[in-house]
Amino acid sequence: MGGPDARPVVVLADDDEAITSNLAPFLDRAGFTVHVAADGEAALELVERLDPDGCVLDVLMPKTDGREVLRRLRRGGRWLPVVLLTQVGESAERAIALDEGADDYLNKPFDPYELLARLRAVLRRARPGRRPLSASPTLRAGDLRVDRISRRAWLRDTELVLTPKAMLLLDYLLTHPDELMTRDRLLEVLWGFEFPVGTRAVDNRIAELRRALGDDPARPEWIATVPGQGYRFVARVDDLR
Amino acid sequence: MRWLPTGALLRVLAPALVGAAFGAALQATEPGARLYTTASPGLVAAIAGVLATCVAALVTLARRRGDAATAAATEAGARQAAEEATRDRLRFFMRLDHELKNPLTAMRVGLANVEEAGVIAVATAGTASALASVSVQADRITRLVSDLRKLADLETREIESAPVDLTSLLDEVAEALGEIPAARERIVQVTVPRAPWPLPLIEGDRDLLFIAVQNLVANAIKFSAAGDTVEVRASEDGDAVLIVVADTGFGIPEDEIGQVWQELARGRAARSLPGTGIGLALVRVIATRHRGEVAIRSREGEGTMVSIRLPVPDRAGTASTVADLRHNRHTPGKAAV
Repeated sequence: MGGPDARPVVVLADDDEAITSNLAPFLDRAGFTVHVAADGEAALELVERLDPDGCVLDVLMPKTDGREVLRRLRRGGRWLPVVLLTQVGESAERAIALDEGADDYLNKPFDPYELLARLRAVLRRARPGRRPLSASPTLRAGDLRVDRISRRAWLRDTELVLTPKAMLLLDYLLTHPDELMTRDRLLEVLWGFEFPVGTRAVDNRIAELRRALGDDPARPEWIATVPGQGYRFVARVDDLR
Repeated sequence: MRWLPTGALLRVLAPALVGAAFGAALQATEPGARLYTTASPGLVAAIAGVLATCVAALVTLARRRGDAATAAATEAGARQAAEEATRDRLRFFMRLDHELKNPLTAMRVGLANVEEAGVIAVATAGTASALASVSVQADRITRLVSDLRKLADLETREIESAPVDLTSLLDEVAEALGEIPAARERIVQVTVPRAPWPLPLIEGDRDLLFIAVQNLVANAIKFSAAGDTVEVRASEDGDAVLIVVADTGFGIPEDEIGQVWQELARGRAARSLPGTGIGLALVRVIATRHRGEVAIRSREGEGTMVSIRLPVPDRAGTASTVADLRHNRHTPGKAAV
């Protein structure tokens, strides 16, 4: 890993050469130094050797797939940011399963600029040598405490009653603080894909969360509305050991 | 089965044929356009991959339709054939999505590369617009494939089962009309009974039900003209709630009405309008997942009426007598829809 001015080093693992031969130059042009792995074993070996700043992993690879690579990285105490490339229909719940601890995920086929935005966001959020929020079992933001394994949340000493979807949304917001979340992206978090007319479903769940938290949209402590764009989790998030 | 030999043959040959055709087309293009190959060989390979998969997919789909028709001919096996066809279709959509997602991703990244490396490759007149066109078409295939995959996903995924208040849901549908600009040019009425009692709660996933009704309303607005009427009516109907969306729009020709619930069904009237033809198939899937039913009636030139019938969860137990009485009293006064 280099100094602040150095190009971030990223390992890109996908068994499809059509993907890597296009994506590697794209990321290179965007300012990353890219190392390509054609399967999971090669990805693990590269991470071991290069100690990169981040990793982009396809979930479907022969032998060792992306999830297994991620599990082995985390088990080995490697906390580098990881973006998973998943299949349509996988909600955040599955894609960022706690025992795997991906920092973000993206359904194929994706917009390459979206991958760039997510990759930059996870690198910005990275805390070198420390466990990412997405791999932490318990998180705290002000008076809010969330046990991500049992999927329960408390405000001070009172447990919140939330629908499973609201809980899923809260979890995603907490693990991606200070990031602009468009309604479409949150819809994808809930469903694993975008619905053409469904962004209202997101607003409903956000309203549910705000009610439960007693968060005033005009002066939000946790969830701020970004007019015309979406939402942003504005509180500082820490992990509790 | 008569499709099988041709289908299998074509599937084997398709990638080669498409690749060859693509190569020939590239050779025939202007030298400027040929720069694509130097700019991004990966892109060309990806495009060939997408085309090859599409050809193979269409052949498979045609074969399946043929098989289903043959099996359904014997009445005894019809139901079994239908179930098998559904499972088959799901597997097919998932495989199609699976096969297309990599070539499509590669195409989109390749296009971004060409655009960025740009200056040389797109300097020739015409290449920039050709590039833009490929990009639009790639997005279109992406949308189509992901729509099909969503449908397959909705048919199988676990859905939320919570009490849903259809009254507030329909209020929200009425509110959401403001987001459809053309709605302002239609006479839209939403009628939800409040007396003698409100609609009973049903059980299910509120988000999905909202999407279903919203889709029907959006369709009614899309396939009607300024000044037409769109009505959304809800009523209690025995052990179910009936939601009807009716319009005085273009209507559907008789020879097309049988296909409207199928994926990708696009009537002649829809050809000039945007969309992938997934809407009604989605409504059907959502209704079915709630143990409900859908129906459609239409007259060309007069309008269309689509209904969703959703069962009210078991009213047995302590409240059953009251509920039955309520039904009996209610039924005679209710207009059949």
